[in-house]
Amino acid sequence: MSLLIGALSLGLILSLLALGVFMSFRVFGYADLTAEGSLTLGGAVAAVLLVAGWQPVAATLAGALAGALAGAFTGVLITRFNVARLLAGILTMTSLYSINLRIMAKSVIPLANERSLVSQSEHLGLRIFGAPAISIAGWTVTVRDLGLLILMVVFVALVAAVLLVFLRTNLGAALRATGENPQMMRALGTDDRLMVTFGLALSNGLVALSGALLAQYQGFADVQMGIGMLAWGLASVIIGEALVGSAPMGFTLTGAVMGSLLFRLMVALALRWGLNPNDLKLITAGIVLAAFLLPRAMESFRSKKRMPAHA
Amino acid sequence: MLEIRGIRKTFNPGTPNEVRALQGVSLSLPEGGFTVIIGTNGSGKSTLLNAVAGSFFPDEGTIHIAGNDVTHWPEHKRASLVGRVFQDPFKGTAPGLSIAENLALASLRGQSRGLGKALNAGLRSQIRDTIAGLNMGLEDRIDNAMGSLSGGQRQALTLLMATWLKPRLLLLDEPTAALDPKSADKVTTLAGEIVARDKLTTFMVTHSMQQAAAFGDRLIMMHRGQPIYDISGDDKKRVRPVELLEKFEELRRSELLDEAAAEMLERSYV
Ligand SMILES: Nc1ncnc2c1ncn2[C@@H]1O[C@H](COP(=O)(O)OP(=O)(O)OP(=O)(O)O)[C@@H](O)[C@H]1O
Ligand SMILES: [Mg+2]
Repeated sequence: MSLLIGALSLGLILSLLALGVFMSFRVFGYADLTAEGSLTLGGAVAAVLLVAGWQPVAATLAGALAGALAGAFTGVLITRFNVARLLAGILTMTSLYSINLRIMAKSVIPLANERSLVSQSEHLGLRIFGAPAISIAGWTVTVRDLGLLILMVVFVALVAAVLLVFLRTNLGAALRATGENPQMMRALGTDDRLMVTFGLALSNGLVALSGALLAQYQGFADVQMGIGMLAWGLASVIIGEALVGSAPMGFTLTGAVMGSLLFRLMVALALRWGLNPNDLKLITAGIVLAAFLLPRAMESFRSKKRMPAHA
Repeated sequence: MLEIRGIRKTFNPGTPNEVRALQGVSLSLPEGGFTVIIGTNGSGKSTLLNAVAGSFFPDEGTIHIAGNDVTHWPEHKRASLVGRVFQDPFKGTAPGLSIAENLALASLRGQSRGLGKALNAGLRSQIRDTIAGLNMGLEDRIDNAMGSLSGGQRQALTLLMATWLKPRLLLLDEPTAALDPKSADKVTTLAGEIVARDKLTTFMVTHSMQQAAAFGDRLIMMHRGQPIYDISGDDKKRVRPVELLEKFEELRRSELLDEAAAEMLERSYV
């Protein structure tokens, strides 16, 4: 039971990463490597501020803001200096590794004893349930885990709803259209360079928000925590698309969240059954690769079937 | 309305791929005029339209639209004055957005885009009514993805989008070249109707001599980056497609003569 609750909480936290990757991968059509650095950046900024005694919500949002700045930087490299998109992401990601170390001043910042969203949700859980542990259908669950899950459900639902509403505003629609057809948006009077910069800021803001929450959830910020996270986000987005197919905006966003939850659940089960945690990133990469290859394999299989074999 | 003075544009200057696409073009288009441009492939027609739209800045010369010196305005800023339809029917619309969303984007051409709802009930019904006027049966599909439509349908919608807010200048770059004859006819008729209804100042490139003869009040033929033939008024009204074809033939012959002359020179001097 606590395995399930833990997987759901973590899945929800990482669904913000998935939403961020969704923004760059599906809206702008490429996977932005900045995400690997900005996830850590979000965790690092939030951790340092929490240690300094900031309000957990404020520290978390500050982490997200820092990520947005990193994304905007990549956007400026791409749009003002004509750096290739992939290279711009690599440059920002690499610089962020040093910057994150500077911010943290060491490679790990423990948060277990700090006031954080986790400790606050523990209080919340205690207040709601009145005891440090309760039993659900015969399973004992700590109210800390439960409180955290509730908080994350509310948090992620809120962020996803705001994102969905935003993408349907004039500005949000312009952002999506720029990703698909920048020439059209220029002809309609919108500076596509500004839009790309803004979109990458939004994407990395979400990723960093995920990082800030992740650091609090796991009880420490780690300068390595972003490594491999882009593939993780991609896997979630792709699994989500497999779940909902090509559907209207609202469903694809929900799909990314569901993809993240499902993926985390599968991983938790696999770990439970003895998967070596060190193999996790290899498996994540494998899933992303399979998701890219499968549709093509299916296509060629189908066209082979259509063509009658020559005797 | 549109004042082009002495613009030149050379692509890839100083390299083996150097192309002098525009070699000193000066044109003055009056308010409400409909000017048609024809010319051989690579003669600089699209380059001229792109220079006006701001896809690049000319090496020399100035461009004024509706009294504004737009020579150094970026493309997106000129969009407040210019509506545009591209040769490629897929360039003017966003395939993943719905038909209604595409038109909603066009309804704010050249204006700032804030956090207001892109589509409200009023705009939706306005979009539905306007699209019903196309008689393409698209009014019941305004929430479908733009990418689900044919090239002709998308081009017709691009035309609606370019003219949703009345542009000071409408640029049409072979809007029907990529369409099958039937859709081409439909888009051509639509363009004629909209231009006449809104009295739009229009600058249209075409490959079709029929279109060139039938449309507009002025006809310009481009050749090697320069206008070489420019008729308007009664001359334009009288001109027939065959005469235009003869003009092309004449050009081709003088080209051949040029080549023959060059060859002769080469033979005697090299
Ligand atoms: N961006 C560019 N870079 C390099 N060369 C270019 C560019 N755009 C146009 N050209 C060249 O400039 C010349 C004029 O091209 P343009 O597209 O204006 O011709 P056009 O008259 O529109 O021809 P078409 O009838 O084929 O559309 C051509 O030789 C073309 O190759
Ligand atoms: Mg052309």
